[in-house]
Amino acid sequence: MKTALQQVFHSRKFVTGFAIFMAILLTVFLYPLIIQDEPLAILGQGNFFPPGIYVNIYDSIHSKSYVLNLKDAASKRIGKILTDQSRQDIKEWLVSYGVPEDQIDINDTESLLSQWEENYDSSISLPGMTFAKQRYFQRLDESVNGLLSSEGVVISEVNQETGNLDQTNTIDQSEYVHINEVANVRILPLGTDNFGRDVLTELVKATGVSLKIGLIAGVVATLIGLTLGLLSGYVGGLVDDIIMFVTNLFTVIPSFVLLILISFSIGQDNRGATTIAVVIGLTSWVWTARAVRSQVISLRNRDHVNLSKLSGHSTAHIILNDILPYIASYVVMALILQVSSAILSEASLSILGLGPRTTEVPTLGLMMNWAMIYQAHILGKWWAYFPVIVVIALITFSMNLMNTGLDQVFNPTLRD
Amino acid sequence: MHKKFLFLLSIFIIAGVLLAACQPAQTAAEEPAAEEPAAETVEEEAVSEDPAAVAASLPREETLYFNGQQWGSVVCWNPYSSNCNNAMALAQQDNARVTMFETPYLYDMLDGKVYPLLADGDYAWDAGMTQITFKINSAAHWSDGTPVTAEDVAYTWATHVKYNTQFGAANKAYIDTIEAPDASTVVVKAVLGEDGKALNPLLVQAYLSSNYVIQKAWTEALEARTNGDAAALMADIAEDAVFSGPYHKFFTDDTKVVMIRDDNYWGQDSSMFGKLPVPKYLAHVIYKDNAAGTTALQAGEVDVSQQFNSNVQDLWLKDNLPISTYLPEAPYNIGASLPTAFFNMASYGLDQVAVRKAIAIAVDYDTIISNAMTNQSATFTQVPRSLMNPTPGEQALFDHDAVADLQWAGKDIEGANKLLDDAGIVDTDGDGWREYDGKKLQYIATCPNGWSDWQAAIEVVAAAGKEIGIDITTNYPEWSVYQTVVTNWPLPETGYDIFMMWSDGAGPTQPWGRIRHLLSSEFAQTTNNWNGNWGGYKNADADALIQEIPTLTDATALKADYTELVKIYLTDVPSFTLMYRPQAFHTVNESVWTNFPHEGDGTSPAVPPLDLTDGWSIAGLYNLTLVK
Repeated sequence: MKTALQQVFHSRKFVTGFAIFMAILLTVFLYPLIIQDEPLAILGQGNFFPPGIYVNIYDSIHSKSYVLNLKDAASKRIGKILTDQSRQDIKEWLVSYGVPEDQIDINDTESLLSQWEENYDSSISLPGMTFAKQRYFQRLDESVNGLLSSEGVVISEVNQETGNLDQTNTIDQSEYVHINEVANVRILPLGTDNFGRDVLTELVKATGVSLKIGLIAGVVATLIGLTLGLLSGYVGGLVDDIIMFVTNLFTVIPSFVLLILISFSIGQDNRGATTIAVVIGLTSWVWTARAVRSQVISLRNRDHVNLSKLSGHSTAHIILNDILPYIASYVVMALILQVSSAILSEASLSILGLGPRTTEVPTLGLMMNWAMIYQAHILGKWWAYFPVIVVIALITFSMNLMNTGLDQVFNPTLRD
Repeated sequence: MHKKFLFLLSIFIIAGVLLAACQPAQTAAEEPAAEEPAAETVEEEAVSEDPAAVAASLPREETLYFNGQQWGSVVCWNPYSSNCNNAMALAQQDNARVTMFETPYLYDMLDGKVYPLLADGDYAWDAGMTQITFKINSAAHWSDGTPVTAEDVAYTWATHVKYNTQFGAANKAYIDTIEAPDASTVVVKAVLGEDGKALNPLLVQAYLSSNYVIQKAWTEALEARTNGDAAALMADIAEDAVFSGPYHKFFTDDTKVVMIRDDNYWGQDSSMFGKLPVPKYLAHVIYKDNAAGTTALQAGEVDVSQQFNSNVQDLWLKDNLPISTYLPEAPYNIGASLPTAFFNMASYGLDQVAVRKAIAIAVDYDTIISNAMTNQSATFTQVPRSLMNPTPGEQALFDHDAVADLQWAGKDIEGANKLLDDAGIVDTDGDGWREYDGKKLQYIATCPNGWSDWQAAIEVVAAAGKEIGIDITTNYPEWSVYQTVVTNWPLPETGYDIFMMWSDGAGPTQPWGRIRHLLSSEFAQTTNNWNGNWGGYKNADADALIQEIPTLTDATALKADYTELVKIYLTDVPSFTLMYRPQAFHTVNESVWTNFPHEGDGTSPAVPPLDLTDGWSIAGLYNLTLVK
């Protein structure tokens, strides 16, 4: 046993797979200890906030201010709004309004904006201009309004007694706050999803749940497959015929179709994460049974098994002590593959809307499902679905890698 | 034994193989048949322009493309049927779709008035409020060239009643007969109440702008070929229907619907529009889902989009596409209907006003509106809740100050907890959940599966329950199950404690019709109920007011009644509105066409944002121009 383990950990493939898997597992366990948010708490009002650092504006106003005289501050401020494209657009409007083209210099911000202010009127509809374009210019006009001003912003509060606005503060353009001194700063490394939930927190929880689903399904499938395979292979005869008949039936019916039908028929109110896991397990034991059976058939006429029979041991005893240990490594490898394919099955089911009941627990498949319903893939909100795909890929990749590593150790024909 | 077993197995397997083999054999037999129509098509093409070939590549600059209306393929073109699944041609409703068939009047949801279409001038009630008289426009004629007459209007109604169509059944309690004293005069006689006046003048008037006029001669032909059988009459596909509207069937299959303009349309007469509508074709590709529709809109393959495009503002702010909505800023469209969560009055504890109101005031509506509706709804701070939709016309109908104390904007956890504590509904056994009479308050909130914005809203309702010690979980049955359950009283004991349904949008009977559907006990605890009040609420005071309003003509009395109803609604909370929703989503792409209706577009009467097909919005089709 010890040497076997040593061999296993000498396989580079296994170690890489194991490391990735452990890293995922550790994150699942440790992350909730550090970030103690409810994974399904709705934080954002609005959907798909992009990843980044969110600084509370109210607290910033009340934080200590530092004056930094940065040379390019003003040009950056202007550049953020007045992009090259919008300068071109302003020129286009002015030209079609009748300003001579040679009088417009799009690089001279001041003259460009003063020409704009002089001529632009939101009620004018230029011939041939679509309504969407008119609204674009209205928005542009609003955004460049006061852009060149060097004045600060006045902060006022409502006086509770008089109901008037009292000026309490002015903020100059050169004032800064230190981010650590702002009371409320929230980092959303993966932004928010369509419900306004923190994607990272949800993703970690979902990974945990999906691993659990994978494990339950894998254990169920392996147990069924192993039991049937052992019985069928060792006992043989009529038992073998019946078991193989059933197994063949299940081989012919695509298991995913079966899975869809069962999930649909149990109805959404009964579809908890565990139920889904068990259903996945019940539909994916077939090839384990077949493989175990063929292994057992080759084992059952070995000398030590015959010896055990002559000693009068019961069938159960022989299966457990003289056959099972010889196929144990194979069973472990089968289990690993079952777990990873069960995680994929859950994701595929949930994408079809047949996964576990929404919003009690998140799963990787459900996250993909909601991202799709709210069109994250069309709107380019990659953070709502891409990290999920990466996690699914990493889990299955690491497990398959471990499996290949094990195979190299235990399968004599593959040994170096 | 063993051999016998194997033999049996083999028999089973052979039988299985044989059964499976039958399938391809049938298909093979069908194949040659499938080729025949294709051969015919080729021949037709040689003779004249084949619709299928034209429809395959419609001239872009003569075609207005839609999405979000038609899901699945068209079943029929029969204006007597209500199951045609023909969204481009048939919809007899508050804002009737008048592309193919026409109503006497057109409703404009923006000013609440009706404008004549087939009719000539306004309609008039007689002095005793017993009947309506109006004239038919003498220019109006059918697609076969014969004039539209008063007799057609009368015969349409008679047919609705005779065959008990959906439209006859809904109105025959209020409309007695429709008569045609001469070819151009129509008299609609109302069913009279005890006071000798029309029982419900609102519904009688509404008939004129929501129900089509169908040609008498064609109806008689239809009756003849269906031998007077009601079911057959309504199931007829009616591809030969004679119509009076500007468009008619050009081509349909399971991928698209195309209608073509009738260049002899009577509406080009100077008494109506004075010209033909601009697009030659109206086309609607049948998309798989909203996501596919949005992609097509982005690509400029759709001009007018009637579907929920989440985060619609990104289309112009981020993608810089020539796309716009009716209003420049959120809520982008005019809210007209009120998607509502109903309480099942028979559920344990929900007969208690305190429980109902506590749940309703604890819900975070801002999150529903920003996350589920992506801000395409006014908030309850902008338009405080009542029974009215956000349009100015309806908002003016009740006394805002009188109900201000009863209105809530939501997320009032403290208030909800206090309400429950005061009512003695507290957590007695310390498990964190409140009990009423010793039994834990535990509910399931539900809406149909896949209705994404509703599902997201229901999630927020459930979250509110947890804040106030009421255990609310969610569940989403399939629509086919859901619709059967909620429309048939009694509701099941569990699973449907809080459930979402719709309420009426804008229309000639509103807000009265909406209030009736939300509160009237005539629908409470009934079966096959597609009207409303699905929670089974009963209140005699509300019933009396609902009965009285249609007969009122005095504005002050009307306002007093509406205010009283709003008070009852906000006090008793038999259901609560979760968001405002537009009558129809109206997002346009100006890649090909421009001059669509938008706020302040200067049209008079203002063209409403109803996709240029419904009610007065059809007038927008005459204003379109091509983008140069």
